[in-house]
Amino acid sequence: MRTNPLTKPKYDPNSVQAVVMLAPMLIGFFLFTYVPIFYILRYSFYQSNGFTETWIGLENFVRIFTRDLPYWKSLGNAFILSFGKLAVEIPLALLLAVFLNKALKGTGFFRVMLFLPAIISTAITGLIFSLMFASFNGIINEMLLNIGWIARPISWFSRKWSAMLVLGIASVWNNYGINMIFFLMALQSVPKELYESADIDGISSARKFFHITLPMIGPTFQVVVLMAIVGSLKMADLILASTNGQPAGQTEVVMTYVFKYFFGYDGRTVSVGFASAMALITGIILALVSLVYLKTSHKLGHSMD
Amino acid sequence: MKKHILQRTLSKLLIYSVLTLVFIVAIFPVLYTLLGSFKGNMELLTEGNRLFPRKFVLDNYKQAWQIANFSQYTLNSLFMSGSIVLGTIISCTIAGYVFERGHFKGKNLIFTLVVSSMFVSLGSLTLYPVFVIAKFFGINKSLWGVIIIRVFGLNVTNLFIARAYIRTISYEIDESAMLDGCSFFQIYHTMILPLLKPLVATIAILEFRHSWNDYLMPLVFTLSNPKRMPLIVGIMELKSSGEAATSWNLMLAGSSIALIPMIVVYLIFNRNFIEGLTAGSVKG
Repeated sequence: MRTNPLTKPKYDPNSVQAVVMLAPMLIGFFLFTYVPIFYILRYSFYQSNGFTETWIGLENFVRIFTRDLPYWKSLGNAFILSFGKLAVEIPLALLLAVFLNKALKGTGFFRVMLFLPAIISTAITGLIFSLMFASFNGIINEMLLNIGWIARPISWFSRKWSAMLVLGIASVWNNYGINMIFFLMALQSVPKELYESADIDGISSARKFFHITLPMIGPTFQVVVLMAIVGSLKMADLILASTNGQPAGQTEVVMTYVFKYFFGYDGRTVSVGFASAMALITGIILALVSLVYLKTSHKLGHSMD
Repeated sequence: MKKHILQRTLSKLLIYSVLTLVFIVAIFPVLYTLLGSFKGNMELLTEGNRLFPRKFVLDNYKQAWQIANFSQYTLNSLFMSGSIVLGTIISCTIAGYVFERGHFKGKNLIFTLVVSSMFVSLGSLTLYPVFVIAKFFGINKSLWGVIIIRVFGLNVTNLFIARAYIRTISYEIDESAMLDGCSFFQIYHTMILPLLKPLVATIAILEFRHSWNDYLMPLVFTLSNPKRMPLIVGIMELKSSGEAATSWNLMLAGSSIALIPMIVVYLIFNRNFIEGLTAGSVKG
């Protein structure tokens, strides 16, 4: 950036202006997007508490792969939570989109209201759900007691799987809306004639859905699910705002686990190098997941060819 | 024929029941928060099973506003979100304009570099290095850091939306302005920018949602300076303060203070919201 040849007067003044206009954003972009990546690459070979640093070669990676079981557990939790909740979230979003696409009375109202949870802060979502599911005085327990489904209040957050269940519910609540809207947009672009000719042939609604609708929205479906997977694996705010990894770190996900090592949050010592190495590995794993997903869903994305 | 009509009615019934059920689940937590914030502290601690308060009281808001510093948090949130929205409108329209209409060596290479950053999926894991860089420039202890990073950090989604929108504007406008002797910047300033109102609305709403709801980055930048915390961070501080059990009333009132502006903006601009969110992500 320092020796920009374009600032010489023999160049087109409009090009100079273009570069000058863009420069602040470009500097910002490289500083806050590319430099951090190189920072992480470099520090993954160091031991550092944020003030002093020592080169330790591959030691951080050795530690991750041989001695740090909680990292892999947190990664496993992120996967279980993501795929578990997406198994509900994606079909639900698609079903709602199909219903909203039927142009029945009141769909405008439902579209606006069903999307409402999607505009609410993930952190606030975590807080609200942890209050609603509180073991003492929580409204969910009270309701379940009143209708007689449970005999005693459930302590949702003191066992791993019930805590994960609540996290999953909260996450579906917060995120189904956005996927619903994506699907709805895709459905609205399917030409009506296809359905009309299918009607003439007397084809059932179920077959219409699987043989016309799904192939037509295939490419959108593929992208939406990819974004949903990557987004869920990167979940952090929700966990920090509700369970914060409790009980005993059993609901920690990979993003919160690494975050805590970077900042020495929640009683951990700052270990920038170790955290960088974990960030690097997590980034690679996320990239691999996307790659595998795109390979296996190739047919979906090209269903219109 | 009769069977057909019966089938139609049944399927309509099914659709409406599913939509209504999801509608109830969708608004329940919001109602729980808003209504709960009007309950008295005693009522909150003893009667969690009631959705509606027995008596509406404003005590929680008074306490949150005066004692728990929420007036300051709200100001901070307004300041942070307002600055980010304004700044992003300018930075994104300029970036979109330059990438769409500008000519200079290396433009395509730079654009590719910007876009390819989307594939590096580190999320909040780059927060620490970003913080260290901010420290280097001395902007790590206030919301200015967050604002500068968000405004100049160039959000790729916004860039895509802006570039695609500017592409739809006819070149003839640029050409006639050029004949009148307008420079590249003057064309942006006097001709293009006034045509970007729908784009500006979309970006403003997306950025408002993002910055108003953001948690981790403002948390990191205000850890050593609690006076500068925005609402979301302030509410979470209550939760982790160890007095969580006794401060339900403050958490509910605080959450409501954070929710209400967002919901109002959404109900007024819901069309732009939905269009904006989809424009960037799928078409991009």
